[in-house]
Amino acid sequence: MPPTDAHDERLLIAAAQKDPARFTDLYEEHFERVYAFVARRLRNRDDAEDVTSEVFRDALANIGKFEYRGAPFASWLYRIASNAIADRWQHAAREQGAALAGDPADDSTHANPEAVESRARLFRQVATLPADQRRVIEMRFAEGRSIAEIAREIGRSSGAVKQLQFRAIQNLRASIEKHAGAKAKKPVGKHG
Amino acid sequence: MANNTQSEQFDKIVSALLARPDAPVSRAEAARRADRSLAPVFEIVRDLRELPRPNFKARLKADLERRISMASSAKAVPESRVTATPYLSVRGASAAISFYEKALGATEVSRIDQPDGRIGHAELNIGGARIYLADEFPEIGFKSPESLGGSPIHINLDVPDVDESARRMVAAGATVVRPVKDQFYGDRSGQFLDPFGYTWTLSTRKEDLSPEEMQRRADTENAAAPPPKFIREGFRTVTPYLIIPHAADWVDFVKQAFGAEEHFRAKRPGAEDVIMHAEVKIGDSMIELAEANPQFPATPCTLLLRVTDPDAVYARAIEGGATAFDPVADHDYGSRGGTVQDTSGNRWHIFTPTPGSDLFATFRTVTPHLYAGEPVRLIEFIEKAFGGREVYRAEMPGGGIPHAQVRIGDSIVALAGGRGPYTPMPSTLHLYVRDTDAMYEQALAAGATSIQPPADQPYGDRSAGVTDPFGNRWFIATHVRDVAF
Repeated sequence: MPPTDAHDERLLIAAAQKDPARFTDLYEEHFERVYAFVARRLRNRDDAEDVTSEVFRDALANIGKFEYRGAPFASWLYRIASNAIADRWQHAAREQGAALAGDPADDSTHANPEAVESRARLFRQVATLPADQRRVIEMRFAEGRSIAEIAREIGRSSGAVKQLQFRAIQNLRASIEKHAGAKAKKPVGKHG
Repeated sequence: MANNTQSEQFDKIVSALLARPDAPVSRAEAARRADRSLAPVFEIVRDLRELPRPNFKARLKADLERRISMASSAKAVPESRVTATPYLSVRGASAAISFYEKALGATEVSRIDQPDGRIGHAELNIGGARIYLADEFPEIGFKSPESLGGSPIHINLDVPDVDESARRMVAAGATVVRPVKDQFYGDRSGQFLDPFGYTWTLSTRKEDLSPEEMQRRADTENAAAPPPKFIREGFRTVTPYLIIPHAADWVDFVKQAFGAEEHFRAKRPGAEDVIMHAEVKIGDSMIELAEANPQFPATPCTLLLRVTDPDAVYARAIEGGATAFDPVADHDYGSRGGTVQDTSGNRWHIFTPTPGSDLFATFRTVTPHLYAGEPVRLIEFIEKAFGGREVYRAEMPGGGIPHAQVRIGDSIVALAGGRGPYTPMPSTLHLYVRDTDAMYEQALAAGATSIQPPADQPYGDRSAGVTDPFGNRWFIATHVRDVAF
């Protein structure tokens, strides 16, 4: 993370520690990351929402105890999330009367932050799509609706919905490639 | 459309992926399944399967904000709750506990017996209320009502059915101090003296009333009772005293425009047309007046005149020679009214309260209204000097006071900051009080200056006069005896 980002982040944390109302800034900044981290580790959306909620409530309650030691704020959130997920797995295992093979928390400690980051970025980019494309993507992927259902809901033909879906994905791909390109060019600009 | 087949084909793969959420999708597999050019987007599709539901982010944010605001408001509450528990000292605690069990349905929570047989401490629960009780220990100053000859404190006990509780209380051996009846403050209650010297008020809430409504009902009850003797008959605590030019013409004006009745007129000796002192009544309210003179230059007043038809009365006032100051209109603060100025310089705000609005509901026919440069300080002065109590204050965002009400005794004085055409207008008010001398001293201590120290007047009042720091004159009087004129 570039030093300016880290500096901004420290300011956001300090503000939230002084005035809890400012915690929402940190929330806005980290929501997609935490959700992306959690959703990959849990099978269904209800669980992912429960754990994401738990993480931010916990973070809000303990923000005063957070001490900046150089690691990004997100890694603190991931740690809270890992614990919450582990609790959930153990609870599930107890309920089933069986021990789980392997500790799922292991998986999260070795999580690839870059992959989480890119999924979080993708989720944010969905929000920037043209309204009709965004709606189709949300209904299709987040709400799990069929093309026919979406077509009925938005009053378009199935073919049109498929086209919107296709164009939305192409747009997302373009912005991901643009981001990757900008990132690749950056050091060149700085040093060259 | 060339795109059509591409998007159709693409959706087949999306559907397959969504149908089998666990399906591992590699680029190679994607390439095998479909057109090679589509391969790079499969990762996107795979990741989108985990896209959060559209309103989840906003819902969670709202939840966090609610927690934040609850946490900050919780901080404003003191950390420990303070409770007060009555501790009764009785002669014969054991018998008292039995009595309270029978009479009030008390249960004994705990009891500590002393070696000498006395109860050192007991705790009772009466319908959830906690009462401590012990035998008296006169040797350490813990004395019972029987030793002291009564207790000045009585205990209020809220019960579900006061009539039933009263019956039980009396059957157990308590005596009735005041029988159960509906009270103006919304309770049905009665008072009972128990055999151990404590008085209990048993009450059941019948109506939840605002403090304003309780005051209104108390006023109604008090109005039915004979007024205190220190207020002259026909008067209230506060009476506007108009010191004005053309006083005799003014009396004609209020008779014609507002249906005033003239009660009294003293003419200046040698000048038959000059009023030295007069009293007129409009509706239920008295107004006093005198011709302005070098000793008492004119202090007209703004008067709020409550009527049933403000449009008609406003028109009559204009017809009678008053000038329009503010036409009749509906005001969102709870009235319809308009303002005129009479030829002696008094302003009349002729109004009727908006049905359902209670801001002016208790107003009598005439209420004096002061316009002050510093309304907040004037309110403070009235509170300190005359024991007034602010009952209403509207505040503008910038701090201006467009309307406030202060209660003195049985009367309301309205006031506002002087703004625009409503410049500060020093007026004269006449107060009847229990003790003129004390009130005069209190007013001086609050910052008033003396016009005249307390003195007995030939017309049966003891009266004094002060000027407040804002130029208003206050005549303070105690009615001592009735004098026939």
